[in-house]
Amino acid sequence: MQNMNLLQQFIYYFQQNGSYVFSQFVRHFLISAYGVLFAAVIGIPIGIMISRRKKIASWVIGAANVIQTVPSLAMLSILMLALGLGVNTVIVTVFLYSLLPILSNTYTGMRQVDDVALDVGKGMGMTKFQRLYLIELPLSISVIMAGVRNALVVAIGITAIGSFVGAGGLGDIIIRGTNATNGTAIILVGALPTAFMAIFVDWLLGIVERRMDPASKGKR
Amino acid sequence: MQRKTKFFISLIGLVFTTFLFSGCSFALPGLSTNSDENTISIAGGASTESQITGGLVKGMIEHYTDKKVNVINNLGTTTVIHQAMMNQDVSISSIRYTGTDLTGTLKLDPEKDPGKAFTIVKKAFEKRYDQTWFPSYGFANTYTFMVTKETAKKYNLKKISDLKKVADQLTAGVDTSWMNREGDGYKAFSEEYGVDFKKVYPMQIGLVYDAVHAGKMDVVLGYSTDGRIASYDLVMLEDDMKFFPPYDASIVASNTILKKNPELKAIFKKLEGTISTKEMQKLNYEVDNNLLEPDIVATKFLEEHHYFEKGDEK
Repeated sequence: MQNMNLLQQFIYYFQQNGSYVFSQFVRHFLISAYGVLFAAVIGIPIGIMISRRKKIASWVIGAANVIQTVPSLAMLSILMLALGLGVNTVIVTVFLYSLLPILSNTYTGMRQVDDVALDVGKGMGMTKFQRLYLIELPLSISVIMAGVRNALVVAIGITAIGSFVGAGGLGDIIIRGTNATNGTAIILVGALPTAFMAIFVDWLLGIVERRMDPASKGKR
Repeated sequence: MQRKTKFFISLIGLVFTTFLFSGCSFALPGLSTNSDENTISIAGGASTESQITGGLVKGMIEHYTDKKVNVINNLGTTTVIHQAMMNQDVSISSIRYTGTDLTGTLKLDPEKDPGKAFTIVKKAFEKRYDQTWFPSYGFANTYTFMVTKETAKKYNLKKISDLKKVADQLTAGVDTSWMNREGDGYKAFSEEYGVDFKKVYPMQIGLVYDAVHAGKMDVVLGYSTDGRIASYDLVMLEDDMKFFPPYDASIVASNTILKKNPELKAIFKKLEGTISTKEMQKLNYEVDNNLLEPDIVATKFLEEHHYFEKGDEK
């Protein structure tokens, strides 16, 4: 292998270990996605709730802010004490880090909805529920989705560190590369798909966001 | 507007069902986690060798049972792996060495006889931790002296005691930590074998193989399963006075998991004595030099041997 240059090694590695890299890629993505999914399921309703009650809002967002300040490696270690090794610890970590962007974006999104539009809805005889689904959410969806995108990109980075608590994923390949005597190619094989995943997911969610945004409907 | 609302509600519904579906047991679709009843967790460790054996155990369990296997890699030391087993984060260690666990985990005196060491460790683990040691894979990762084929021929070296007559003409490269170690370090070795090299160079363990191959050293001390031994065609000298403590490699499993899955015992027994030190060198070489993933190497090895389906294929 010594007579190959880096690019050849890189390609050779992919040829030989393609199935393994792919399975780790999927695993990596699932860990990140589940964490963000749970954060969205919990964060968006809470964000909607606190947009109605300004007093609680500063508290809730403040708490999410505090979580965000903890370094990710420290967070993983702390959670590991309670949850043990493995995937769950990383998912919970991703969940905690995703809360703030999703929460605060939902909050901002809901607040920036024009009061006039809401009044019109009321005047048309819409119920509270209808106003939420037909006016507020469609108008704020692009801001909320921006939060989810942000969270998912950060999550992919955190999951790479998650290898240290035995969660697997592409971080495993990176760590193995750092341990190997001639591991530059292996490190790249782990690192490049991680970066690619972040960019791809961001792009994909960007499309979803534009689809869901009523403002862009006319332009299509 | 109508279509958008429908889409939106179904999206939320989807999110919630996913959440409910997975939230209760915390076993997420597509991910094997260690809190799932149907999943067996294995500790893989950080070294090449431990990750290969992790792949072997995983492959065997997946081949013979319909359980899911979750390998937790990158656990740095035996202490961490032991801790993970005690916390029940994992139920199986893919590789443990008798010598390491005897003095490290059990804090007992070193024992030089491999058979005795194994018996002591097996009994102590059964009693103290309720864990079972399975018979060795067939290889030991111990310290061993090695020379190039030419040197071996020139001085007619087969055993370490053969070095005695010629040691004053030879330079040796050894692991830095071994150099000053009490008990089984250079001083004790020198006394036991009566071997005193012309000059001894302490160096990092990873460098000794290249040093002897390049002719910079005549004799080096390294790990017996390193892949470079096979690739450089080095000759390992037999430890005829049994100076170095044995580091036989075995699977260790908690009795809880064995009771729950009685079939595991027979599966692990199939691996007994299947990998010689030479074979392990080859497997390590595949990973360290040929850019193969440990997991892939393990699968290949198992497929070559048909998962040891016939007992006589050892």
